[in-house]
Amino acid sequence: MKYQSQSIAKLYFIAAIGLFVGQILFGVTLGLQYVIGDFLFPEIPFNVARMVHTNLLIVWLLFGFMGSAYYLVPEESERELYAPWLAKLMFWIFLIAGALTILGYLMVPYATLAEITMNDLLPTMGREFLEQPTITKIGIVIVALAFLFNIGMTILTGRKTVISLVLLTGLIGLAVFFLFSFYNPDNVVMDKYFWWFVVHLWVEGVWELIMAAMLAYVLIKVTGVDREVIEKWLYIIIAMALISGLIGTGHHFFWIGAPDYWQWLGSIFSAIEPIPFFMMTLFAFNVVNKRRRDHPNKAAVLWALGTAVMAFLGAGVWGFLHTLAPVNFYTHGTQITAAHGHMAFYGAYVMVILTMISYSMPLMRGKQAGNARAQVIEMWSFWLMTVAMVFITLFLTGAGILQVYLQRYSDTPLGFMATQDKLEIFYWAREGAGVIFLIGLFLYIYSFFAKGEDVVMPEAAVAS
Amino acid sequence: MMKSETSKNNEQQLKNASNAALASLLNLTILPVISFIALLFIYKKTQPGNIDHYHAVLGIKINITAALALFLVSTLMIVLGGFHSPWTWVYVITYFTIVHTIFIVFAIWALVRSWSGDKLRSKHN
Ligand code: HEM
Ligand code: HEM
Ligand SMILES: [Fe+2]
Repeated sequence: MKYQSQSIAKLYFIAAIGLFVGQILFGVTLGLQYVIGDFLFPEIPFNVARMVHTNLLIVWLLFGFMGSAYYLVPEESERELYAPWLAKLMFWIFLIAGALTILGYLMVPYATLAEITMNDLLPTMGREFLEQPTITKIGIVIVALAFLFNIGMTILTGRKTVISLVLLTGLIGLAVFFLFSFYNPDNVVMDKYFWWFVVHLWVEGVWELIMAAMLAYVLIKVTGVDREVIEKWLYIIIAMALISGLIGTGHHFFWIGAPDYWQWLGSIFSAIEPIPFFMMTLFAFNVVNKRRRDHPNKAAVLWALGTAVMAFLGAGVWGFLHTLAPVNFYTHGTQITAAHGHMAFYGAYVMVILTMISYSMPLMRGKQAGNARAQVIEMWSFWLMTVAMVFITLFLTGAGILQVYLQRYSDTPLGFMATQDKLEIFYWAREGAGVIFLIGLFLYIYSFFAKGEDVVMPEAAVAS
Repeated sequence: MMKSETSKNNEQQLKNASNAALASLLNLTILPVISFIALLFIYKKTQPGNIDHYHAVLGIKINITAALALFLVSTLMIVLGGFHSPWTWVYVITYFTIVHTIFIVFAIWALVRSWSGDKLRSKHN
């Protein structure tokens, strides 16, 4: 760590990991409710637990992105953060607003929450991932603006690198597209358009820029490969991401009452969407293969490679699986969607943040890398969580295929609930994999406290 | 004189090697069959013991193994499980997707190794 203000990232990362634990606890609760329908009813109904699970995910990813930016930007800009106090203040505001919102979900019925937060004045509540009360959304915008101002000023008054500019572009996009969540038209078709303008343009657009920038940053640091090489890759990746991702939004317009041509546009453009993820795999493999040094932080290298591969699997392969209109006709809104949603979010955005944390946390604690034992434990947690997520995905994919067949493809289709009964075995298996995931997460947290011997690299390997 | 001759040779080999690895990857993804034929042509241009030969052979091996693992095993699943059983499709589609992906990721690594003129195992640096 070269600049004092980078250490603000630590606060953000600790909060992110804390909320991550909450997210997964609610995940395994949901998984259990899938097989034991009245588990925790009426205290925590399924719809509430689901909302908490997905909202915690989004909030902790935002903490992770902000923390990563606060770590990355000063070093790239070669100066201290523009206003460290602002970053600290925003941290507490965001944490308190986030905690109050989650408590609101859990303590009062959603309709009551809407009432006491005066949703009527500017109705924005009720859409998946964007369930936050309007007042919380306004809080998110304020935090995002202060954050963008802070890192924007740091970048503009310091050294400008391709990495920091790509990151900034992605983060501005994140904030701008979030504004669509304030527009809630009565027309359900229009409503869906604007919902996807947030959700899709985030994960299949601007977040990819954030991800590519963070991955490139860590890869430069751990491999010592020249910036110029990495920058060329970045340009192609972000160009491909935007070209495919923007019109690719059409893969959500197939059956919502939008014009027919979206079936063509959505299918064709979203079929290209795997390319940027594919390129990220190629890029990460290439850079690690050409590395000029072996970094003592082996765990960070593993996370970086893992991100590249799992994002390709979750977003690229499992996205492509159901993105063509004739396929999506059958799979829309089934467990196939959930399978893809899980592996894509985990493989791309969860893992890239864990990569940043893995690389930067030891440095913020005054070391090059975690000690040998801590790294072994961290790598175990990598494998437990990643393999568990692969299995969650496979079980949900199996469930989804059976669901499509029984409920939508068969000549004698079963009803929704009759079909769900037939999928029980998959749901139990998913729950088992979920528990393994949770164990992996606990191990991950333990790795920060594990004591052991420092990793010493042979002089030559570090120097070259 | 001799030196530039060999370096030209090496360059050509490196080019063949990466073309072979690329053809192998394309055959697994967006351009099947045609890419395999291209791969066979590249193979014919190479000499045993050279890096381009290594990558051409590797590509052929990956693709033949993939074809067997994907089509033979899937066909067997369909024959044994029955075309009209939903469970057949549960296994076939899930199996095909994940195994196919593993081969693609492997071929990406092979491509990257061919770019640096390395075999899969030999130590780089
Ligand atoms: C990291 C990137 C990605 C993430 C995090 C992600 C996540 C998600 C999530 C959570 C959903 C479910 C939304 C809902 O209905 O609640 C979804 C739907 C979908 N995704 Fe992705 N996705 C990503 C990339 C992709 C890519 C690259 C493709 C195409 C190649 C794709 C294709 C689809 C399709 C077609 C649907 C709609 C499924 C349906 O009709 O039910 N996704 N995605
Ligand atoms: C980092 C890990 C995880 C991520 C990124 C994640 C992400 C998500 C997302 C994006 C959704 C919404 C899906 C959609 O709209 O299609 C969701 C729903 C859900 N998740 Fe997770 N999740 C994770 C871990 C888990 C675990 C460990 C479990 C349980 C074993 C779990 C169980 C569920 C359930 C049951 C739902 C509701 C699905 C439905 O409505 O049918 N999740 N999760
Ligand atoms: Fe999408």
